[in-house]
Amino acid sequence: MKQVPVLWLLWPVLLVLAVFFAAFGYFVADSFLHQIPGTAMMAGPVSLENYRTILGSVLVQRIFVGTLWISCKITLAATLLGYPLAYLLARTASARVRQAILFLLVVTFLSGGITRAYAWMILLGNNGPINRSLRDFGYPPLALLNNETGVLISLVHFVIPFFVLTLFGTIKNIPMALEEAARNLGGRRWRAFTSVTLPLSLPGLVSAMLLTFTVTVSSFLFPLLLGGGRVQMAANLIYDKMENSFDMPVAATISILFLLVSLVPLSAFSLLRMGLGRRFGGTRR
Amino acid sequence: MNSRRGRPVNSRPYALAVPAMAAIISAFLALPVVVIVYYAFSPSGLMVFPPKALTLHWFVNFFASGRFRGALINSLLIAALVTPASLGIAVPTAIALVRRDFAGRGALNALILSPLIIPGVVSGVAFLNFFTWTGVTSGFWRIAIAMMCFTLPFAVRALVATLHGLDGALEEAGRNLGARPWQAFLAITLPQLYPGLLAGGIFVFVEAIDNFSIAVFLTDLRTTTLPVEAYGYIRDFDDPTIAALATILIAQSLILVFILQRFVGMDRFLDLRR
Repeated sequence: MKQVPVLWLLWPVLLVLAVFFAAFGYFVADSFLHQIPGTAMMAGPVSLENYRTILGSVLVQRIFVGTLWISCKITLAATLLGYPLAYLLARTASARVRQAILFLLVVTFLSGGITRAYAWMILLGNNGPINRSLRDFGYPPLALLNNETGVLISLVHFVIPFFVLTLFGTIKNIPMALEEAARNLGGRRWRAFTSVTLPLSLPGLVSAMLLTFTVTVSSFLFPLLLGGGRVQMAANLIYDKMENSFDMPVAATISILFLLVSLVPLSAFSLLRMGLGRRFGGTRR
Repeated sequence: MNSRRGRPVNSRPYALAVPAMAAIISAFLALPVVVIVYYAFSPSGLMVFPPKALTLHWFVNFFASGRFRGALINSLLIAALVTPASLGIAVPTAIALVRRDFAGRGALNALILSPLIIPGVVSGVAFLNFFTWTGVTSGFWRIAIAMMCFTLPFAVRALVATLHGLDGALEEAGRNLGARPWQAFLAITLPQLYPGLLAGGIFVFVEAIDNFSIAVFLTDLRTTTLPVEAYGYIRDFDDPTIAALATILIAQSLILVFILQRFVGMDRFLDLRR
């Protein structure tokens, strides 16, 4: 049967991709130029000067390493908090419990970043409900805002829906009979979990951690609002370069280097997931 | 599926610690949402509990501000433009990716999804640079075009997942009975795609309204969006006006969840997310 040529179906998406990658082409090209001092304009000669300066900058190195480190901590925290929730969501016999948790996750998820970042600013602030209660009971207030604590708490909250919604499908697809068999053979619940459920859920777990890490490493709004200028993640550094000096070539250089740096752990995670997929092959994809 | 899983009544598959932890984490999830809604109605800007009175003052304040009204209209217009455009491009793309075999299909899929792993700020600065070169000075169009590129993967992903679950033989049967390709598509495949269109459309809409990290670089003096305007306000003022905005966005999220539950079903929706 005669079909519509594939290109007829694909030209709109190819057009969008062309715009997107043209933007990145210009971006890479401009990272080899330099700013004309005192203006927002750029000029040649083409050189690797920006890359040399940025790679040699201790500040940039510290911020890159700090960004990766915070992202690791948040991914770990999201895993510890998110796994039990995903497990209950997949295994609960009560439709009402499942509906309630799903509702909560999706409503938080769809209410957006600015809403949650601002809500945590209010919650953790000096006059917020937590510190007011502490004062009412005669305790000194805690410094929860404008430091790393606030950024960590709010970001963990931000990524939990991503994590749980990604992992829960995998756990749901593990036949419950396997766990039951392990328990009937005399294993305790914990043993059944560590020897059956956990290994079989590894592909989904790695996917969930991968997504969590991706979202965290590029976070911008949360450190901006809750870090009080004291927590600089890579995105904030790029924003500051644009806000303060409008130095596009340097901002482009930092952006490209940061993209490369963040892709290293991501590819490691992806390889791990591919390896796991081959070994366990339990997921649908 | 559940009915086949007969299991002994007394053996829960998990220890009681699991629901206990889940309850604590759920409370942690709900806490900021509850607090911010409460804050939006509190008269003093200080949170006193129990409340002495409730007020709509901050909502009035929000809508009375010309800047917020402008930003609200821009955000809604951009989302109203980007959502159908994104879906319109995603439908033929998803059909090609799922139903056709062509050279470079895997590579194209990876390219389409790649904006998802690029940090928003990086895309934002890259777009700013690009629009400066190409002379697009209108903030509205800069943000609309960038959002188009950025939200497309969400729409494609939801539609690809829906198409995977459909039977291509139906459309073929239609063709065999003499329908033209367009007729067969409109009468058979498109109606079956509605869960993907709805779920994908909701992701695109929410992302287009809520995006900060890209939009913040592309605004101009006349055009801002809600999150960018909200950030400016938070920097300069300390009152619950933004809590009123947050409450409006939470209400929007509740409406979207209701639509999803009613027309797609939550479980189905989650399958389309991945």
